[in-house]
Amino acid sequence: MIEFNNLSFGYTSKKLLYKNLSLTINQGSIYGLFGKNGAGKSTLLKNMVGTLFPVEGSILINGMTPQKRQPSFLQTIYYIPEDVFVPSLTIKQYKNLFAPFYPEFNEDNFHTYLNDLEVSVDGKLNKLSFGQQKKFVIAFALACNTKVLLMDEPTNGLDIPSKTQFRKLIASVMFDDRIIFISTHQVRDLENMIDNVIIVDNGDLLLHASVASICNKLCFKTVAEIPLNAKILYEERALKGTAVVIENIYAEDSKLNLEQLFNGVTENPTITKQIFSSN
Amino acid sequence: MVLQKILPLQNRYFHLTKPAMNNIFELKRFGLLLKKTVMERPVQLFGLCGLILAATLAIYSALLHFTNWNLAQNLSFVWCFAGGGCFLASIVFGYFGTNASGSAYLTLPASTFEKWLCGVLIVGVAFPGLFLVFFRLMDASFVMAYHNGLDKNSPAYKVMYKAVQVYTFDNAFVKDSIIIYANFVGAMMVGSLYFNKVSAIKTAMVYSGGLTIIYFLNLFLANAAFRNVDIAFPFNSIMIKVGNGTGILELPSNVSNIVHIAILYIIPTVLWITAYIRLREKEI
Repeated sequence: MIEFNNLSFGYTSKKLLYKNLSLTINQGSIYGLFGKNGAGKSTLLKNMVGTLFPVEGSILINGMTPQKRQPSFLQTIYYIPEDVFVPSLTIKQYKNLFAPFYPEFNEDNFHTYLNDLEVSVDGKLNKLSFGQQKKFVIAFALACNTKVLLMDEPTNGLDIPSKTQFRKLIASVMFDDRIIFISTHQVRDLENMIDNVIIVDNGDLLLHASVASICNKLCFKTVAEIPLNAKILYEERALKGTAVVIENIYAEDSKLNLEQLFNGVTENPTITKQIFSSN
Repeated sequence: MVLQKILPLQNRYFHLTKPAMNNIFELKRFGLLLKKTVMERPVQLFGLCGLILAATLAIYSALLHFTNWNLAQNLSFVWCFAGGGCFLASIVFGYFGTNASGSAYLTLPASTFEKWLCGVLIVGVAFPGLFLVFFRLMDASFVMAYHNGLDKNSPAYKVMYKAVQVYTFDNAFVKDSIIIYANFVGAMMVGSLYFNKVSAIKTAMVYSGGLTIIYFLNLFLANAAFRNVDIAFPFNSIMIKVGNGTGILELPSNVSNIVHIAILYIIPTVLWITAYIRLREKEI
């Protein structure tokens, strides 16, 4: 479990990016963290892995404090930054040097993931393309079998087949006591994959809800006429009418559209709070 | 059937009784870290060491050609030992040039102490050891060649033979070089943890600036206390012009001892420990 207790963080003490953020993230879920560029997504991830320290408040990950960067903590968490780093080593050399730090590392899985992601295994890693390097790091991170996996814009630099393969892999490595936390501004890449949504903007937590809860409270549909007396979170002119995200007062079934949800939540944070605070 | 029942219990037992991990130091983990540190950047580490040793040979040869044995031995030793050590110290923690490599380094499951110790072993033990062995071999070869080249029948043979000897590492100049090394390398390690990019240059500029300020402050204070001050380099002595000559005004022995202890032990210790604290507090 990840607990944010009144977390405040800022790059300067005068201007805080996050102020008194409280949030609980449960095991066995894939979380999508969405936000615009500069919204503070990477900052939040860095606070979680302990490469940035909160100004006030605390973060606890499975009872441990990231800031201490203790080995017993670090071997249970893997963080993939947006720009990955690979040294001038072959895949075998990399595995031999880095895998022993992760007691749950599974070599068979590692090779399976490399194969699934079509990572070229010849030559030095630093000579691979950015996309190949990223896929290699994703394969290694998944094979480490850490309890917490944090990924910052993991689909950046991946081609379309690799994005599909990435989604399949993530779904296959999910188990009950694992937390996968994916930060991105490319909301469509995570569709049908995540089961919890967190949306941040300017350091504010605008939404934290499960996909089931979102579909329960909101209805995503295209209408000929915008219904009256409904709380409209988002509307967009489409070919066959108007695509809307409205409060689901008639318990309709609809498919979550992450992009529309994101636009609606960031444009109308007040309405979002009203909808999600009501039972 | 019985075995099938026992094995899970046994696994559970071992899981429950597994000793708690030492979060400060574990020999096995440290060994892995050291191996990873060396093997991850062999070109950078071994390449730089090779370059320093090659530079030592070139500087020694050049100085021998243009000056004398004593100067060649002393200057090549201090320049290459302290200078080379500074360059090496600037790269042992040089992971912070990019966000990705800095994150990879900080989030590697090893303790801060182990990461610091790894750097300290490289610049504090491995490099000095390598340098001293190389310098001894190089110097002994040159001295041997010189001795072999002397005319044994010459009346000046003994004098010329004795005039050039293998450089001893217990002389005062070497001791001073080690003090310079400990101070400069400590400063460079701290600097590389404060400046993420081109840390060697930035650190050198900061420390040069600091030393310049200290020098002029010392000169200002010396001028306030004495007349005709010539040189007042911190903190040993002040040179005062007396007529056509120059007199040396030394610190009282008790104060001089304090200054020496500070330069010998306190400042390097503070710098090397600061590197550890800075690494622990490092954010990227």
